[in-house]
Amino acid sequence: MKKLTIVLIALIALCLPVFAGGSSESAAAAEDTNTIKVGLICIGDENDQGYTYNFIRGRDEATQMLAEDGINVEWRTIYNIGEDASCIDANIEAAEEGCQIIINNSYGFEPYMLEVVDDYPEIEFISCTNCASWNDGRANTHNAFANIYEGRYIAGVVAGMKLQQLIDEGQIAPEEAVIGYVGAYSFAEVISGFTSYFLGARSVCPSVTMKVMFVGSWSDATAESDAALALIDEGCIMISQHSDNTTPATAAQSRGAFHTGYNNDMTGIAPDASLIGTRIDWGIYFYEAIKAYAEGREIPQDWCYGMGEGAVVMTPLNEAIAAPGTAEKVAEVEAALADGSLEVFDTSTFTVGGQTLTHAFALDTDGDFTADSEEAVYDGAFHESEFQSAPYFTVQIDGIEWLNSAY
Amino acid sequence: MSEEKKTPFIRLARRSAMDRRRMWIIRVSSIVFALILGFIPILLTGSNPLEAYGVIIQGSLSRPVYIRQTVKIAIPLLGCALAIAPCFKMKFWNIGAEGQITMGAVAATYFALYWYDRVPHVMLLVIMALTGAAAGGLWALIPAFFKAKWNTNETLFTLMMNYIAIGIVAWLQGGPWEGRKGSQLIPMFNDAARLPDVLGVHCGWIMVLILVVLMHIYMTKTKQGYEIAVIGDSANTARYAGMNVGYIIMRTMFISGAISGFVGFMIVSGANYTLYSGVANGVGFTSITVAWLSQLNSFAMIFISMMLAVLQKGANTLQTRMDVPASISSIITGILLFCMLSCEFFINYRLIFRKRQDTEAAE
Repeated sequence: MKKLTIVLIALIALCLPVFAGGSSESAAAAEDTNTIKVGLICIGDENDQGYTYNFIRGRDEATQMLAEDGINVEWRTIYNIGEDASCIDANIEAAEEGCQIIINNSYGFEPYMLEVVDDYPEIEFISCTNCASWNDGRANTHNAFANIYEGRYIAGVVAGMKLQQLIDEGQIAPEEAVIGYVGAYSFAEVISGFTSYFLGARSVCPSVTMKVMFVGSWSDATAESDAALALIDEGCIMISQHSDNTTPATAAQSRGAFHTGYNNDMTGIAPDASLIGTRIDWGIYFYEAIKAYAEGREIPQDWCYGMGEGAVVMTPLNEAIAAPGTAEKVAEVEAALADGSLEVFDTSTFTVGGQTLTHAFALDTDGDFTADSEEAVYDGAFHESEFQSAPYFTVQIDGIEWLNSAY
Repeated sequence: MSEEKKTPFIRLARRSAMDRRRMWIIRVSSIVFALILGFIPILLTGSNPLEAYGVIIQGSLSRPVYIRQTVKIAIPLLGCALAIAPCFKMKFWNIGAEGQITMGAVAATYFALYWYDRVPHVMLLVIMALTGAAAGGLWALIPAFFKAKWNTNETLFTLMMNYIAIGIVAWLQGGPWEGRKGSQLIPMFNDAARLPDVLGVHCGWIMVLILVVLMHIYMTKTKQGYEIAVIGDSANTARYAGMNVGYIIMRTMFISGAISGFVGFMIVSGANYTLYSGVANGVGFTSITVAWLSQLNSFAMIFISMMLAVLQKGANTLQTRMDVPASISSIITGILLFCMLSCEFFINYRLIFRKRQDTEAAE
């Protein structure tokens, strides 16, 4: 028994100084009032080189911009949290660790985040890409998104020009201009994304059609690759994606197809396939939100900026493989989107079941998950992300074939 | 004869009973040894191991909120270890607790989603608990029936049943129970379908503590518990004594599955407030270790499940504070379990190394 006691005492002795040391440290951090502590809860980590990596970039960019304004930010970044109850724990963790603002980076985090927000009324909670804040009756919840559909439209233009070039050069027949789209879920954000992409492509390549395959996950490198390969087998020669990884790009490269990316510049890993990418510059938002907080102003309840404000950016064009004249065309479309002369969802450019779209609701007010208020179609266009930052375009337009809709 | 001349370099021999004091010294030192081994992965991530252990303890026990979070992790571990114990006592290797939890959660979720406005609060919770237990029990009864009837391999059978259960939830998530179209998320439960908190943690902790006592009584003081022990020692003896072994297997598995299903109900109603395919989150497997480390002793399970919960909760804080990947804690947990389980081996067996005189003696 003696030995046992000695061991136990030794263990406790080992632990005690650590215990005391750690707590004095955190107390010191709390006293430093010039620093704002921000939690960032991520679905992946920087290794995805896509979605979460893009948030990390935004985080670092905002930190630098804020430092220039004399605002220090201490980040607590929590990686690899699932869209499940572990998100509740991560939010509690960040709150208890003294974060003043907590940012949740994935769509599926919001319902779990909302379980925590009432326990910490003095902390500001932000759910990126989701939409509950406008009618959840709480002051400390916020949403944010950017008009990524504008970036996708331009990526579509780049893809369309490439396809048209192949048609003009006689390498493919007009009806062989088929785009394959790897989507995460058959969900508004994704539908809005691939529809704008398709409309961009068709604006420069009239014969284009598109096939969409859903993989049932925001981030599943293997499934995304498999879907891209399956689409190529179905005759698609241009791949694009709304999923977090770079595997659709490498899949396209391995089969000699072309590709446009999302979240990150993928021309580095697929130089013979990837033409361009588009991403949200979260730095713009983080800067604005944290600055507002630091100055004692309200963080915007539902923030949504577009290309004109720099919140959506194109990654560098792969000039080596893009069709000639692409850069000029991109600049032209960018300008037209910025000054409002071009509407992405112009109802004269697409049909639904052979008919022009004249009516679609934007918001769901009664919580039954079906939009029931605010007419989104007016002045000859569907107005995306105007009534809330999160996309609400859920119409299936002609020319896009859904290969599966189980997800 | 020449074959037998060669004595193996190491031989194992069963130890005669060791005194309790020495047993406990070996056990405690194995934990200390594991913690020291755990320095290696922490050092590899470039952190100070002592500080890291400090953060783990702080992150799990230093504040009321953290203690509550830790207890929240321990509840299903403990509950499920209690569920597994009678099966393992019977040497029926039920590794299907994961699926039984999931099916219990499915049944409870059905009533949470569609009955919350039809019956009063407490009544709803009782219905959810009972149907959850029934669903888990029936799910466990399937492999037990096949085992009893045709002596199928219960290990594979129960394991496979897990994936079926998880698949069912994945289908519900994207199909009939999906909330916003395409989101793959089942809506959060109405307040009526949530377990109330007692001292800041859902009241499931009281229920599992009651279960600890009940299970202890069941295993040590009842006829059924005795039957389980006899079958575990020798099914033939049990048959010779006139026990209906097949019936006892099915009965025990039903009880085991029902407790797991009840745990599933506690998870969805008390902690997650919704259902998703990862609802069991490995609890069904981790609890096997809890049960084994506790040597199927109900009261020991409380401490073992708390210890694992401390490591798990602490690891989250470790990640938040020191940017150490949370998976480091899985590695440390693994090292710990490995050391603790192998120390049981050294308590039961001793190693005999080949010596010169051994070889001579053999000749």
